[in-house]
Amino acid sequence: MNMFSSCMITALVILTLPIITSSTKLYKNKLYPYYVKTATSYAFMISMIPTMMFIYSGQETIISNWHWMTIQTMKLSMSFKLDYFSMIFVPVALFVTWSIMEFSMWYMHSDPYINRFFKYLLLFLITMMVLVTANNMFQLFIGWEGVGIMSFLLIGWWYGRTDANTAALQAVLYNRIGDVGFIMAMAWFLLNLNTWDLQQIFITTNDNFNLPLLGLLLAATGKSAQFGLHPWLPSAMEGPTPVSALLHSSTMVVAGVFLLIRFHPLMEHNQTIQTLTLCLGAITTLLTAICALTQNDIKKIVAFSTSSQLGLMMVTIGINQPYLAFLHICTHAFFKAMLFMCSGSIIHSLNDEQDIRKMGGLFKVLPFTTTSLIIGSLALTGMPFLTGFYSKDLIIESANTSNTNAWALLITLVATSLTAAYSTRIMFFALLGQPRFSPMILINENNPLLINSIKRLLIGSVFAGYIISHSITPTTIPQMTMPHYLKMTALAVTILGFILALELNLTTQGLKFNYPSNYFKFSSLLGYYPTIMHRLTPKTSLTISQKSASMLLDSIWLENILPKSISYFQMKSSTLISNQKGLIKLYFLSFMLTMILSLLILNYHG
Amino acid sequence: MLKIIIPTIMLIPLTWMSKPNMIWINTTTYGLLISLISLSYLNQPNDNTLNSSLMFFSDSLSAPLLALTTWLLPLMLMASQHHLSKEPLTRKKLYISMLILLQLFLIMTFTASELIFFYILFEATLIPTLIIITRWGNQTERLNAGLYFLFYTLMGSLPLLVALLYIHNFMGSLNFLMIQYWIQPLPNSWSNIFLWLACMMAFMVKMPLYGLHLWLPKAHVEAPIAGSMVLAAVLLKLGGYGMMRITTLLNPLTNFMAYPFMMLSLWGMIMTSSICLRQTDLKSLIAYSSVSHMALVIVAVLIQTPWSYMGATALMIAHGLTSSMLFCLANSNYERIHSRTMILARGLQTLLPLMAAWWLLASLTNLALPPTINLIGELFVVMSSFSWSNITIILMGINIIITALYSLYMLITTQRGKYSHHIKNIKPSFTRENALMTLHLLPLLLLSLNPKIILGPIY
Repeated sequence: MNMFSSCMITALVILTLPIITSSTKLYKNKLYPYYVKTATSYAFMISMIPTMMFIYSGQETIISNWHWMTIQTMKLSMSFKLDYFSMIFVPVALFVTWSIMEFSMWYMHSDPYINRFFKYLLLFLITMMVLVTANNMFQLFIGWEGVGIMSFLLIGWWYGRTDANTAALQAVLYNRIGDVGFIMAMAWFLLNLNTWDLQQIFITTNDNFNLPLLGLLLAATGKSAQFGLHPWLPSAMEGPTPVSALLHSSTMVVAGVFLLIRFHPLMEHNQTIQTLTLCLGAITTLLTAICALTQNDIKKIVAFSTSSQLGLMMVTIGINQPYLAFLHICTHAFFKAMLFMCSGSIIHSLNDEQDIRKMGGLFKVLPFTTTSLIIGSLALTGMPFLTGFYSKDLIIESANTSNTNAWALLITLVATSLTAAYSTRIMFFALLGQPRFSPMILINENNPLLINSIKRLLIGSVFAGYIISHSITPTTIPQMTMPHYLKMTALAVTILGFILALELNLTTQGLKFNYPSNYFKFSSLLGYYPTIMHRLTPKTSLTISQKSASMLLDSIWLENILPKSISYFQMKSSTLISNQKGLIKLYFLSFMLTMILSLLILNYHG
Repeated sequence: MLKIIIPTIMLIPLTWMSKPNMIWINTTTYGLLISLISLSYLNQPNDNTLNSSLMFFSDSLSAPLLALTTWLLPLMLMASQHHLSKEPLTRKKLYISMLILLQLFLIMTFTASELIFFYILFEATLIPTLIIITRWGNQTERLNAGLYFLFYTLMGSLPLLVALLYIHNFMGSLNFLMIQYWIQPLPNSWSNIFLWLACMMAFMVKMPLYGLHLWLPKAHVEAPIAGSMVLAAVLLKLGGYGMMRITTLLNPLTNFMAYPFMMLSLWGMIMTSSICLRQTDLKSLIAYSSVSHMALVIVAVLIQTPWSYMGATALMIAHGLTSSMLFCLANSNYERIHSRTMILARGLQTLLPLMAAWWLLASLTNLALPPTINLIGELFVVMSSFSWSNITIILMGINIIITALYSLYMLITTQRGKYSHHIKNIKPSFTRENALMTLHLLPLLLLSLNPKIILGPIY
């Protein structure tokens, strides 16, 4: 009997404890956020035990405990899959969440409902754990929908603001479009394979997996904000910054990629879907990187860079390297969460100022945040021997050496170079140069809650990539040998991006204002996508539902065909046929005459 | 079955003899006790049915609906207290008696073992409902609504009577339990097509099928709260129940007769849910959402596979509880704002946070969040329609998206945003209302722990 599964269950149970105590008096306590944070940290430490065991022995487990129901030939039970992906991702997610919770104790301290905020964060974490560890599609779907709804609640946290509400609704809508794909995949698996259990799906063979895989790709597109369904991610920045750090960088948005990684055994030999994934990812990574170039809102830039990295993960799945995509998920979680927290620190210090044009010179007043932001950005761009390098460099190398669509590869390389460009832009405008913020603001970052949480992720951003990639063997082997120039491509394009951006940023100073070019407009208006899709589609569909569904069909046609026409024809025919013309006097007169006549006749009868 | 029917009848003298301040609490308590008895029928030890007598039986299809009916009476009583607080005592008692009478008819409808008996009771339920709508509705339009309600359902169900007489003539019996063994496949002829239509239209109107649904939004909007609750929760389910019972008689005609109705429901489901997107009237929105959900049930029943039957049964129960809860919430808004217009009730979360939690949970169950039984119902229906034809997933998918949209639109409009000034001094939410919502939500949540008791006979 080893401790593998029991430790894992303990870690998951610990997470539910603060939810249970929320019905007791403890929930009214000021210390509730602290309990939640501590529970998360304990869960992280306990979950490290099975992860260490996994790293040591490589054993994978399936826990199957509560039989829910058996519907004819299909058995549904609660079961957890503790394999390579979940065993690595659970501690990473718990670690990141732990730091983010500590950060939100600082960021949200003046919020009157901070306890509820922590409960929501924890509920989100639990649903994410359910998603990651699920062994059957139904349980996966519970987690999948759960994170969607929790993101709705968390984005709409400041529910008095219209923007927050629309952003929350947008997130649910785009996710829901993805869910249709998920449901379709579920239906297909049920129909053709008669099971929702993952390992049973993988061992059964079918010649054509196109349809369910398309469904899963749609689901991943919605959840991971790929091209077509991407606008919700930048809009979601209306939520509090800890929410952006947790949901929209490290956990929820990678769920789509995670799903494709989970179902990779089916995708392995399916060229069509792989090509689709590759092209989708490439388009996403380029478009969102272009959008990130001209944004002025610091959170929006980071959000677009998240979207771009998600596109990169999709590209990786498209070139048949799920292991690398997964590695990128794990490493990305550290530095992207930290970037969000740094921007949160800046925003909070500058009295909720998010515009990078109004920052500047922060390296003097916020030295620690500046350091972390720079390290995070460097890790994001794939600076050698920082965390991002270990996954990103490998991804670009495998893309370079794989036998694949040259356009997609080229687009990805351009996006990689743009990553450096927009990272430079944040650093240049927010951190360097002269201060452009109001001199009256008192800036102080010396709060242990802030420093410790960022510090923990900072260490992660420097070392996690090395530790993870060093201790775990890849499941699919990346390309080992390649020519020098291919080996150096990733680094070269990144450095190119850096230098270009720096030069461009320097030239912006002291030049006169030019009327923005069309390229600039394309980027700053997010490729005109929201302008078209968020105006045209809702307008047409709402007009159709008003004019044709509601007015024409329901109020006019259906009303006229049945009830109105029946009553009309009844009325017409009754007036036509009946000899009643409403001549009351005449009728009564004739009535009276008959009465009198009959009385007379009866009286004088005999 | 008498152990439910007799206590239900005895509720009427209880109402009339109770002291004025005890009428609500007495009837509610006893109603809850009766619903506890009905829970025992959920345990179906035999494979087929529990026969109580020659006239009554219950099987795993009718038992959940029976439990839902008896569960709903105390909830209706709790919900209408405020609505009737200004009425004189006799009228209150009359109102309660009407609700009890309706419950009585419904219990007997769901447990009748004879088709003609079922038909009579099916029609009898119209009377108390009509009285409730036209007597206690809030506006003058209630008379129009009552007219629509009565005529649509009567016109639909009169051919059924003729069809039943005909079936009795050539089969010799109308007993549910017997005819399923005696039934011969119907040959394909014009007269049999009309027989099929006559049998199904009564229930299609009741469900309602898209195109024949006009009575439903009117009746829902104009009815008092208890009327809306029982209409949405139980009366619509009579249609689904009847269809599932009578399709056994109509094979194999259903295989091809189903097509126009399937198309109509699939189309109507999208149409009605997109109407929801444009509703400003809260009750009308919930009513149209009922039509769209019931279209799923019609599709499931017409597909006639074990999975689709399970889905239909689960969806009926889930929708019964959810829509009834939504009507209660709408009513609690109405009692405070005195308007059904959603925009006037915006920003209520700031003022009534606990109510906002109920709103959230009700909207989430309405959009079928896993693992609620709403999801189980919808998922099974989607699965069976996918296996019937892969293309239906497009329509189902659009409906899933729109359902989520209007549920959250309703939630955001009424609860989120800044509150307006005219609602500053509204009453806080009462314990009665919170208990009401809890009693709706509790079965929903508990059933998702063990959904197999509401999955119907095929399970």
